Amino acid sequence: MNKLKIVSIILLIISTIAILYGLIFNPADWIVITIAIIFIPFFILSFGLLSMAKPKKDEKEERIQEPFIGY
Amino acid sequence: MYNLMADILINVCLAFLFGSLLLGLHRKVMARVQLRPGPPLIQYLLHSLKFFFKESSWPKTISKPFYIAITVILCAIWVTGIIVGPVLKGSLMIIFGIYAVHKIVEHNSGSSSGSPYGKLSCVRAVFSASSELLLFASVALLYLITHTMDIGAIITYQQVHGPLIYKAPLLALMFFMIIVTKAPYSPFSITTGKDIISGFETEHFGFLRGYIMLSESIMWYVLLWLFLTIFFGPISLLWIFIGMIIITIITGFISAITPMLNPNHSVMSQLSIALICAIGTIIPIMI
Repeated sequence: MNKLKIVSIILLIISTIAILYGLIFNPADWIVITIAIIFIPFFILSFGLLSMAKPKKDEKEERIQEPFIGY
Repeated sequence: MYNLMADILINVCLAFLFGSLLLGLHRKVMARVQLRPGPPLIQYLLHSLKFFFKESSWPKTISKPFYIAITVILCAIWVTGIIVGPVLKGSLMIIFGIYAVHKIVEHNSGSSSGSPYGKLSCVRAVFSASSELLLFASVALLYLITHTMDIGAIITYQQVHGPLIYKAPLLALMFFMIIVTKAPYSPFSITTGKDIISGFETEHFGFLRGYIMLSESIMWYVLLWLFLTIFFGPISLLWIFIGMIIITIITGFISAITPMLNPNHSVMSQLSIALICAIGTIIPIMI
């Protein structure tokens, strides 16, 4: 497993736990707001990093070399 | 029992779904005005979701931590926008701060990519901040009228004195120009002009593009919600949705029939509108 995948899994677990904590235990408002601002974006990011398709090994170099790929 | 986190999550999902559909409607209106069939309404939403599963890689030219972090910041500021706006009805000053950070995100997203198109867009973001932030400074004029920066208090003010759109129409026009500026393909969207491909978004493809699109649909929802709440007062969610659809149709029409201005003309037009509307709002207050 590469480094990015490990970091993404850890981030996904932490952000899921944090959001569930805010949802279930209903702590003070400032804690909920802090959790929402930090962990909702991280939840989406880590989910995306895990769900995105990775380039094949032989195509990888070609992909990162190709700048200004656009839309 | 009231659950703040549930409220935030529901509002974020609602903003993403409805904001995406509105941006889909925007494209549809543009297409119909230009006598094209256009994509279906749900195309923007489908694109945002589809990109989460597309092949993504990191170009050699990027500054990787920054390149990824900037998309997280974009999402974080508009989640904050949801919390301060529809959820808590908090201070307009925070919304102003969010808008200022959005300009910084445009700037840094372009510069982190290492692409010449991104860098050009990054310069334009600084350029456009001089006029867009001035337009958003309409919140200062709002303070002169209502003596509050609190969205909840502004709603209460309108319950007593009637909608602000009748009292300060030029102020509403200033705020509306911000919405026009942020509309896709608008005459003022110089940071994502097609002459620089997709501007600061050019190098963010695959999943990160989907992530940016998700944040932008939330941004669209927040800006429209703010406009309707600040200038029309206490209206129901149904009327807010109807208002959002009407504003999106109007901006789609403007985007379809207006060519994209060059950066100088864009900034000068926005500054002129800001100046005329500010003077036109201040004089009646002083009298």
